[in-house]
Amino acid sequence: MQLRSSGRRRSRRTDLLLTCALSALLMIWMSHALPRLLPGDFVTAMYASSEDVILSAEQEAELRAYYSREAGFGQYLLRLAKLDWGYSYAFMAPVSELFFKALPWTLLLLLSANLIAAVIGFIAGVEAASRRNSGLERGLVSLSTIMEGIPEICTGVLLLAVFSLWLGWFPSSGAETAYAELSFSGWLLDVLHHLTLPLLSLVLAYLPGNFLLTRTSMVMVIRQPYIRTAQAKGLSAARIRYAHAARNCLLPLVTRFGMRLAFMVTGALVVERIHSYPGVGTLLFNAIRLRDLPVIQTVVLISSLMVLAAMTSLEFVYGWLDPRVKEGR
Amino acid sequence: MNHRFCQIIFFLAAVFCLFFAGAAAAAPTEIRIADSNGDWGYPNPYRHYPRGPGYIRMSMVFDTLIWKDEKGAIPALALSWDYQPESQSWVFKLRDGVKWHDGQPFTAQDVVFTVKYMQEHPYSWIRLNKIASCEASGPLQVTIKLKEPYAPFLSFMETMPILPEHVWNKIDEPKKYEGMDSFIGTGPYKFINFDKVKGSYLFEAFPDYYLGRPKIDRLIYIRADDPIFALLTGKADLVGIEPNMAAMLKGKGMTVIEDKRSWNRKLMINHHKEPFSNKKFRHALAYSINRQELIDKGHQGFGTVASCGLLSPDHEFYNPQTPTYEYSPAKAGQLLTELGYSKGADGFFSKDGKLLTVHLLASAMGSTDRDGEIIRQQLEKAGIKVDLQNMEKTAADSKIMNWDFDLAVSGHGGLLGDAVLLNRLLGDDQSAGSINSARYQVSEELGKLFKAQVREMDKEKRRQLVWKIQEIAADELPALPLYYPKAMSAYNPAKGVQWQYTPGGVGNGVPTPQNKIFLVR
Repeated sequence: MQLRSSGRRRSRRTDLLLTCALSALLMIWMSHALPRLLPGDFVTAMYASSEDVILSAEQEAELRAYYSREAGFGQYLLRLAKLDWGYSYAFMAPVSELFFKALPWTLLLLLSANLIAAVIGFIAGVEAASRRNSGLERGLVSLSTIMEGIPEICTGVLLLAVFSLWLGWFPSSGAETAYAELSFSGWLLDVLHHLTLPLLSLVLAYLPGNFLLTRTSMVMVIRQPYIRTAQAKGLSAARIRYAHAARNCLLPLVTRFGMRLAFMVTGALVVERIHSYPGVGTLLFNAIRLRDLPVIQTVVLISSLMVLAAMTSLEFVYGWLDPRVKEGR
Repeated sequence: MNHRFCQIIFFLAAVFCLFFAGAAAAAPTEIRIADSNGDWGYPNPYRHYPRGPGYIRMSMVFDTLIWKDEKGAIPALALSWDYQPESQSWVFKLRDGVKWHDGQPFTAQDVVFTVKYMQEHPYSWIRLNKIASCEASGPLQVTIKLKEPYAPFLSFMETMPILPEHVWNKIDEPKKYEGMDSFIGTGPYKFINFDKVKGSYLFEAFPDYYLGRPKIDRLIYIRADDPIFALLTGKADLVGIEPNMAAMLKGKGMTVIEDKRSWNRKLMINHHKEPFSNKKFRHALAYSINRQELIDKGHQGFGTVASCGLLSPDHEFYNPQTPTYEYSPAKAGQLLTELGYSKGADGFFSKDGKLLTVHLLASAMGSTDRDGEIIRQQLEKAGIKVDLQNMEKTAADSKIMNWDFDLAVSGHGGLLGDAVLLNRLLGDDQSAGSINSARYQVSEELGKLFKAQVREMDKEKRRQLVWKIQEIAADELPALPLYYPKAMSAYNPAKGVQWQYTPGGVGNGVPTPQNKIFLVR
């Protein structure tokens, strides 16, 4: 019996990995094919619509030929296998260099926003659920429901108007003061100063959902008989709330967190754009505007592979967080 | 005792003042310029984006033979230039004592090399195909012989950046070459850094510049999605603005400057296709469109109705007698009736039982741009059914390029450059500027005039030819110029630079106040 069960688990795992590999291949193909469906090409976006450019027909044809050399999927696969992500048309630099210069800023923004929103949302949700029907709980729920409906583009602009333009407390754009020549601590402060508004926009966008989710699952959990048992054992309220009840509310929150992380690369596109934050979202936006295919392909590929990776790792995290998931298999 | 005390105080005050005066002198002066895109490529002739802001960044590093200030052409690397009609040659007398950023002397050989290099590796902003030969006729003199008289030639010399031979003679693939020595110019600023991801640039003053050390030590470009925010929060010192912000910015102590009319919104017409191939039908379209209403409703009145001859009213060759089409749905109706259309009970025209429907392609200029929608309403009011499609700019551009449209709301600048722009924007079917060009080759007379105007070296005679081109263009109406939106910039005057727009634009017509001459003078 034991043997059969472990064999089943192994085959399930193989199935999972096989599915993943197939999906990855499909994503690679899509990352190659989809950006090509965009109407217009780099030469149109960059040269043909500029009134300053004086090119003869032959020169234009040469340019077009130059920028469509790597057309085949086979070549694309071969290049990827060599971990060569291509050369950006517009930036005239290797795509990997661009991507890895932009990624830290996006990670900084999104990881901190997700963490802050998850922690605050979780604690607030747990506390609100244990104060069910109080004025505070009702107020928080109504506020969060409203906040959940406001898109980050709106909060972002409002924050800019109030804290940057009106009060002048925070800078309106960029990730640091360009070429400021500061000491390390000065630079760190400068980065945090620039981070505040985009971070706040994202936290305000993610927080209400986390809060509502935790509260709802917590409300279900505290009705369970084992909570009453814990109370009867005379455990402290905080211990019951966090060690016994809240642990069982983690699952949906972790799913949400994982999904957010999966959209890490492109998730902050709007906020990055509003605050001119130099992350991957801004990179993708400019690449699409200019039809810079190698950059679009890389960002699309990496972000879709991240979704896949997040989904797969969530499978394993579930089992660790909640043994019921593992046992149910 | 009291006297002693006063002495000490005086001494301390003097030290304090000296210290701060020293500190103030040591702090480098800085100008920060913001725009919403940020990256415009590396600032050398082969790696900057082929757009105005890319050219401007490059022009801080590289000089041309002739430059322009707020009044017109001024000597740059060439002190004087002279045309010799008998030999069809331009003779440029060069400035002495000019240094490259690496300390090497600038010579006539560098100019000769640049012309040859750019003939071999074309620089997309100029065309050197009219040059028969280019040689150094003295240590500081260059003679460029043309194959035939060519009037726009000087405008290319106002645009062509001069390259150092000692660097570029070893560069075979200029687009791919990444060495820092490819940023050695004679310009007022040395290129230090370009952060592609942040879209920021750093330039430092070149102390040995031939007009003297630039008065600003560091020139910095940054990306700001909303440049006005950046200006108001002190992050930027010069930005382009929307005209409705001008009053507010002036109130905050900023200086607001306005450009001449050099950019036009234009209705492209597919004259390859029935019924648009009929001039009368194009006239009917023009009468159906209320261009003033577009400005008033769509742009809060900030703009002026465009000349149908394409050249800007601020251009020295503008023809004030260019025919125009005052809004008149009645006239439009009359023309359509003459073409065999009849108006039905629903108010729309039709012919042979088929409703007159046009497909209108629009791509927004900004987030609040409603030109496509307003034109649709106007045409429908005049009895022409419109099927409007809004598209992202490059997608729309590629449709226009492939003649896959009926009408398209588009736009372009450069209307104050050399009058050769008429050839390019009305007639040329071959060049990559084709999206903005009407590509109209039906009129033989226009074709002849295009050829004649660029060969005419006498300014007055050329003016007559250019006037005629505008008249014919307005009558043939291969595309309908709609309006010139107001273009403005604002800067912080406390920074010590008085920016101004350059008449005719910087280089071959970039409409910007960012002319390097204001950082030097």
